[in-house]
Amino acid sequence: MRVVVGIKWVPNTQAVRFDPETGTLIRRGVPSIVNPHDLPAVELSLRLRDEVGGEVIAISMAPPPASKGLEFVLGMGVDRAILITDRVYAGADTLATSYVLARAIQKINAEIGDVDLVVFGQETIDSSTAHIPAQVASWLELPYVYYVKEATVTGNGRLRVVRELESYVEEYELELPAILGVAIRALKPRPVSLSTKLRAKLEKRIITWTNNDLKLDPRCTGLKGSPTIVAKTIDMPEVPRRKEVFKARDAREAAKWIIAKMLADEKLREPLYRSLWGGE
Amino acid sequence: MSFKVECDKLCPEWPCEQPGEFRNVWVIVEAEDGRLSEPSLQMLTPGRRIADKLEEKLVGVLIGYNVSHLAEEVIKYGADEVIVVDSEALKTYHPRVYASAVVDLARRYKPSVIFIAGTKRGREFAPYIANTLKAGITADCTDFDVDPNSRDVLLIRPPFAAILLAFIKTPFRRPQIGTARPNVFPLPARDESRRGEVIFEKVNVTAETKMRLISRKQIARMEVDVEKAEVIVSGGKGIGGPEGFKLLEKLAELLKGTVGGSRKAVDAGWIREDRQVGQTGKSVKPVLYIAVGISGAAQHMIGVREAIRIIAINADPEAPIFNQADYSVIGDYREVIPALIEELEALKIKGPASIKEYIEWLSNLERGEERIKPGAQAI
Repeated sequence: MRVVVGIKWVPNTQAVRFDPETGTLIRRGVPSIVNPHDLPAVELSLRLRDEVGGEVIAISMAPPPASKGLEFVLGMGVDRAILITDRVYAGADTLATSYVLARAIQKINAEIGDVDLVVFGQETIDSSTAHIPAQVASWLELPYVYYVKEATVTGNGRLRVVRELESYVEEYELELPAILGVAIRALKPRPVSLSTKLRAKLEKRIITWTNNDLKLDPRCTGLKGSPTIVAKTIDMPEVPRRKEVFKARDAREAAKWIIAKMLADEKLREPLYRSLWGGE
Repeated sequence: MSFKVECDKLCPEWPCEQPGEFRNVWVIVEAEDGRLSEPSLQMLTPGRRIADKLEEKLVGVLIGYNVSHLAEEVIKYGADEVIVVDSEALKTYHPRVYASAVVDLARRYKPSVIFIAGTKRGREFAPYIANTLKAGITADCTDFDVDPNSRDVLLIRPPFAAILLAFIKTPFRRPQIGTARPNVFPLPARDESRRGEVIFEKVNVTAETKMRLISRKQIARMEVDVEKAEVIVSGGKGIGGPEGFKLLEKLAELLKGTVGGSRKAVDAGWIREDRQVGQTGKSVKPVLYIAVGISGAAQHMIGVREAIRIIAINADPEAPIFNQADYSVIGDYREVIPALIEELEALKIKGPASIKEYIEWLSNLERGEERIKPGAQAI
């Protein structure tokens, strides 16, 4: 089984710090990491390979520093990786990104061998659109399912998946090739093995594809191939809040203050009244 | 004036269409178990506003099987017109099947805008629709507007872990597609007297031959959904373990509310995933949100923007939550919450007459004390 897993190299939004002086968030100098939500997808891919044999190929469309992210997943046990990088891919929205990824998957099909399964994480921590799996499915006209928690290969070479929606757990059987979006907490990702990572590096298991390799029309990639345009960005407007902070002498006083504040607040008085004594 | 597209500059894999050919605002309305899905009805709220701004019609597109009788309801919730696709081919949901129904209709009717509820299903099939039409899509919008000059719809969303707010438009592609999470917009008021046209359409649905549904089980849930709760007592990393959530549950019960949790609390396994509040969880709109041991990361706070009041209890005097809450106390929840429960139980027994005692105590405190100061300066 040949599994392709998509990886995104993202700024670590968890490392963004709050500046108490200015009340704003500091975005500069944030280090990048492999999108944490991609790791359950890598884990699921590795488990399928370990179970039925084959290989896992990680792909990422990104500027060259993203090879660090590919090294990371190679350290988890991914067999090889392809960095898809070119200036003409820069500024891509999800449609243009999915286009390049889909064409790269077709190139893997043609030059490395048939791809049986394409696996993505549920969404990224930096933009969290969850678009890519469906969009790649659309370019390749493949069946796909989101929010997958488990996947097993059946005797007849199909894939059984379990996924969870808001109120339902569903089980599907998919013909391969297919595309999966793996739920955020589906599986605990295995740790990186330093020796595996080192060996992958020595064996140069990351190859780079540029647009010389993919030969895509530049009108379909990057900013030009993106229907959406970011007209502007602003800092998230603050919700007006009262911001009263009480340093109580003890817990009793803190509790009393909270209750008194609720009773003095025209928005909270009535709900508190109702929950304690019912009626109005 | 809408943008004039030069076809030779466009990706040759995209159909060349002029934005001016597209009209009307669509909301995709789904039905489940014989009822209209509430998240999709909520999308009629921004749909109505944008249709009015564009001076176009708001059209509900009702898709499913045995759904025709629900069409009038969509009108009552604010649509001018409803297009119904009631087909046995849509009996079992498959993302590509649902998407193909919308794509087929959109190719014929050419709507300028499509809004889709960002339920898990919606998030699954909406990008397939957009890509098949080679249209732009913007997920998890928190607001929509119309650019007064270009008449493009502005799709407003919080990228970068909800620290930023981006204004997105698709000036040279139509339809303009946007999704929003459930409860980001309120349900529109239902107007019994509202009338509108109902159009029954047949579509070319692509049957799904590559996947099949094996089983579908409803998840049994006893408690109130966090989205519906008036009071939420929510715990974060600072709770430290599952037993702490028992305390929060007790407080929630007393306040006739429910418990929620941050991503970290869910990751740690202290509370179930369906109770998660925040960017990768749910958006909630309680009257009161009590954040306990929650630091106040932007990804969490995006989910509670619509809370009317926030009370924060946190032991870390540097926690950013204090700058984003209405009433905060610095302290160990293991002491504050039991005290709060005891005080509330005592108040419950004493009865409403004792309220003034608290108010007097508070005004004395506020007159004589310097310990209550706004925001970060108190730290």
